[in-house]
Amino acid sequence: MNIIACVKQVPDTEAQIKVKADGSGIEDGQIKWVMNPYDEYGVEEALRLKEKNGGDVTIVSVGPARAMETIRTALAMGADKGVHVSDPALNNADAYVTAAALAAVIKGMPYDIIFCGQRAIDDDSGQVGAILAEMLGIPQLTIITKVEYAGSSIKVIKPIEGAQLLIETGLPCVVTAQKGLNEPRYASLPGIMKAKKKPVDVKTAAALGIATETKAKVAKTIPPPARPPGKIICGDDPAQKAVEVARLLREEAKVI
Amino acid sequence: MGNLIVNTRDQQFVLFEQLGLEKLLQEEPFLYFTKSDLLMIMGEAEKLAVNVIAPTLKESDRMGCKFQDGKVTVPDCFHEPFKKYCAGGWLNPMDDPEVGGQGIPFGVGFALTELFGAANYSFAMYPGLTHGTAGLLHSFGTEEQKRRYMDKLYAGEWTGTMCLTEPGAGSDVGALKTAAKKMPDGNYLISGTKCFISSGDHNLTPNIIHMVLARIEGDVPGTRGISIFIVPKYRVRVDGSAGEENDVATGGIEHKMGIKGSATATLNFGENGNCIGELLGREREGLKIMFQMMNEARLGTGMQGLALASAAYEHAVSYARERIQGTAIQEGKNPEAKPVAIINHPDIRRKLLWMKAHVEGMRSLCYFTACSFDRARVARSEEEKRQREGLLDLLTPIVKAYCSDKGMLICSAAMDVYGGYGYCSEYPVEQYLRDEKIATIYEGTNGIQALDLVGRKLGQNKGANVMHMTGLIKNKIDRLQSSPDLKNAAALLEEALKALLETMNFFAAAGKNGDFILPVLNASKFLEIFGDVLVGYLLLDAAEIAGEKLKVVSAASSLEQKVLFRENKEAAFYSGRIASAKFFAADVLATVRARCESIKLADKSPLEMSEEAFAY
Repeated sequence: MNIIACVKQVPDTEAQIKVKADGSGIEDGQIKWVMNPYDEYGVEEALRLKEKNGGDVTIVSVGPARAMETIRTALAMGADKGVHVSDPALNNADAYVTAAALAAVIKGMPYDIIFCGQRAIDDDSGQVGAILAEMLGIPQLTIITKVEYAGSSIKVIKPIEGAQLLIETGLPCVVTAQKGLNEPRYASLPGIMKAKKKPVDVKTAAALGIATETKAKVAKTIPPPARPPGKIICGDDPAQKAVEVARLLREEAKVI
Repeated sequence: MGNLIVNTRDQQFVLFEQLGLEKLLQEEPFLYFTKSDLLMIMGEAEKLAVNVIAPTLKESDRMGCKFQDGKVTVPDCFHEPFKKYCAGGWLNPMDDPEVGGQGIPFGVGFALTELFGAANYSFAMYPGLTHGTAGLLHSFGTEEQKRRYMDKLYAGEWTGTMCLTEPGAGSDVGALKTAAKKMPDGNYLISGTKCFISSGDHNLTPNIIHMVLARIEGDVPGTRGISIFIVPKYRVRVDGSAGEENDVATGGIEHKMGIKGSATATLNFGENGNCIGELLGREREGLKIMFQMMNEARLGTGMQGLALASAAYEHAVSYARERIQGTAIQEGKNPEAKPVAIINHPDIRRKLLWMKAHVEGMRSLCYFTACSFDRARVARSEEEKRQREGLLDLLTPIVKAYCSDKGMLICSAAMDVYGGYGYCSEYPVEQYLRDEKIATIYEGTNGIQALDLVGRKLGQNKGANVMHMTGLIKNKIDRLQSSPDLKNAAALLEEALKALLETMNFFAAAGKNGDFILPVLNASKFLEIFGDVLVGYLLLDAAEIAGEKLKVVSAASSLEQKVLFRENKEAAFYSGRIASAKFFAADVLATVRARCESIKLADKSPLEMSEEAFAY
C-alpha cells in the first residue's frame, strides 16, 4: 500500500499567541511549534495501515524551513520518507494554494490513501483535504473516526449529529482525520535516530509548477477582545447576594 | 505556563549554553548526533513524562504496592506506562548501540532522568535499577551471562535489583551474613535475607534478576570477603524464557512514608536450600563490582533530589501566581486596597527565588557531573581523561547528599508557599516531600556520603581532583573581576572559596596531628559548604553567559526593560538566571566564611558529652 499523510506545523495549543502590532499576522519568534493534532491522527492511522497491510508511508508538508521538524517527528513515529514544499512564496498560502502544492507533489507519486487532518488548529479553515481530493479527482471522506481497509476499498465511520454514517468507497481517496480515530504513538528513541537516515525531498513552488497567487487574503489579524473582568458580589448576607446574582443573570446577562 | 514539573528551557540552557554540549558533538563517539536530534529526544521524553507518567503520580501513591499470598503487585496504573517507556527505548538511551542503546551523551541522559523522575519518582525506580543491573552484566558478565540476562534487562522485559542491605548490615555492608556455597557445577547455593530491596518483587515483568552480595564459605570477614552473584527469581530455561522458581521468597514489603509505588521488599534466599546463583566477575570482588551500580545509584539519588525539587518549585510558582490573598505591603492599612496574588508578597518572593536558585544550581551541578563523564570519553590524553574522571569521583557524594538534602528543603519551602493547602493531599507538594525524603537516606546515607568525601575523595589522586575543581572556580572568579554586574557576587564566591580551602587545610593539619575525629565530626557540614560553593560557582558561570545573551536580546528590541521582560520570554529567562546567581551569592555564599570558622572552633561537645546526657 502507498499511503500519504499530509502534515502541517502549527503553534502548540498551549503557546501564548501574540498578534503583531501592525496586524499582519502573529509573532512567531517565541512560539513552540508542533504537528497539527488532527494530522497526528492521520499519521498514526497511516502507520497502523502500513503495519497491518505492508507498504510505505510518505509525509508531505507545505511550510517554512522549520516545518522540517514536524516531518522528522512523523518519520520518527515510523513513516518512511518525506516531501517538504518549502518556499517563501508560500508563506502566506491559503487553503487553495496549499492544496495545489500538495496535489502537485502527490500527482507524481503512487498512492492508495491520503490522510489529512480534518482541519488545522491555527487557521481552522478545514478545506485543504477537500480541495486536494477535488484537484486529484478522487473521493473525499471527511471528519472520520474509524477506518477499515478491505483490499481495493475502505469503510469509514463519520459521526454526524445524533448518528454515525458508515461510508464505503473505492481507492484511492482522501480521508480527513477527526479526534477519536486513534491514539497517536510517541516517537521512540530508536525511531528518532532512524529518522535521520530517512530521505526528505525539498521542493519549491517553481519546481512543482504551481501558481502561488492565493484565492483569499487575510486582510488583518486582530487579537480577540480582552475578557471583561469578573464581577464579585460583596456582602454579608448570602440570601441578599443570591438575589443580586439572580437579578444580574436576568437583567444583565439575560440568561434567565 | 510550562509543564509544571521541569523547566525544559533551563535544561537546554544548562546543556547547550552553559556546558557547551554542542562542542562534544564534534567528537567520537557523539559525532552522529546534532543538537536538533538531542532537542527532539528531550522533547519526546517530555511528552512521555508529562502525558503518560505524571498522570500516575497520585494514584500510585494512594494505591501503593500490595503484598498478598507471597506475591507483590504494583499500582495498576504502572503497567501501560512501563510498557510504553521500555518500548520507546528510554531505559538505556546512554548505552552502546550494540546493547540496544543509542549512545547519547550522559548530560542529555540526565536531562531525561530528571523529566521521568519529576513525573513520578517511584515509577522511575523500576527502570533505573534495571539499568544498573544490566550495566553490571555489561561491564563484568561473561558473554553467556550477557545473553542470558543483560539483553532482556536492557529491553525492559525483566527488571533488576541491587541486594546489599541485610537486617544486621546496612551502612556497614561488611557485616553481611548471606552465604554462598560452591557446587560441583561451578554455581553457588545462596542463603540469607536481604531487606529494603527496591523493586525486590513485583508483577511488572515475568522475571527479576537480583544482584546479591554474599560471602563464599570460608572467605574472610569484612568487605574483602564479599562476592557478587546473579540470582534470578525464576531460573532461565535454555530457550531464554523464565522457568521454575529459584527459591527466592518475598517475606513482605515495607509500608513507607513515600515512594509508595516502589515495592521495597524483604527477600529470603534459599529458605529451602535450593536458591542458585551465578558468580559475577571474580570471587571476592563483589563490593568493587557493586560500586559501579552504587555510584550510578548515588548520582541517580542526587537526581531524585533535583527532579522532585524541580516539580515542587514549578508547582509553587504556579500556585503563588494564582492564589489571591492579602494586600500588597505597600498599601499599608488602606481599606480600599485589593487583595493580590501571593507572589507579590516579599517573603513568598524570597522563598521562591531561594528555591529557584537552588534548583537551577543543582541542575547545573548534576549535568556538569554527567558531562564530566562524557568529556572523559572524548579526552585526547590519559591525563585529561583521569582529570575528568577525577571530577566525577569527587562530585558523586556531593551530588547525592547535597541535592537530596536541599531537595528536601525545597519541597518543604514549596509547601510553605501553599500554606495549609500544601499540607493536604489535595495538592501534590506534600507527596513530593514524602517521595523526596528517602533520597537523603538510601544509597548510602548522607552521613556516609560526607565521610566518603572527607575521608576518601578529598585526598584522592593526592588531592589533584579537588585542586582541579577549585582551580576551575578560581579561573571563573578572575574572569568575573571585570564584570560590572557580577563582580560583587564574584567577590563573595572568592571569599567562600578561600574559607573552603582553609577548612580543607585545617582538616589536613588535624589529620597530620592524629586528630582525624574533627573532619569526621564535621564531614556533613563540610559537604554542604562544598556543595554551596560549587552551586555558587555554577550559578555565576551561568549568569555570565545569561548576561551576554540578555545584552543581545535587549539590543534587538526597542522596549524598555520592564516591558521587555513581560513581552519577551527569553529576556525574562536570562534575567532570572542572573537574579538567581546574585541572590545565591548574597544569601548563601556570604554565610560560608562563618560556617567554616564554626568548624575551625573545633568544638567537640557531641563527643565529649556523656551518652546518658542525651535523654532524661
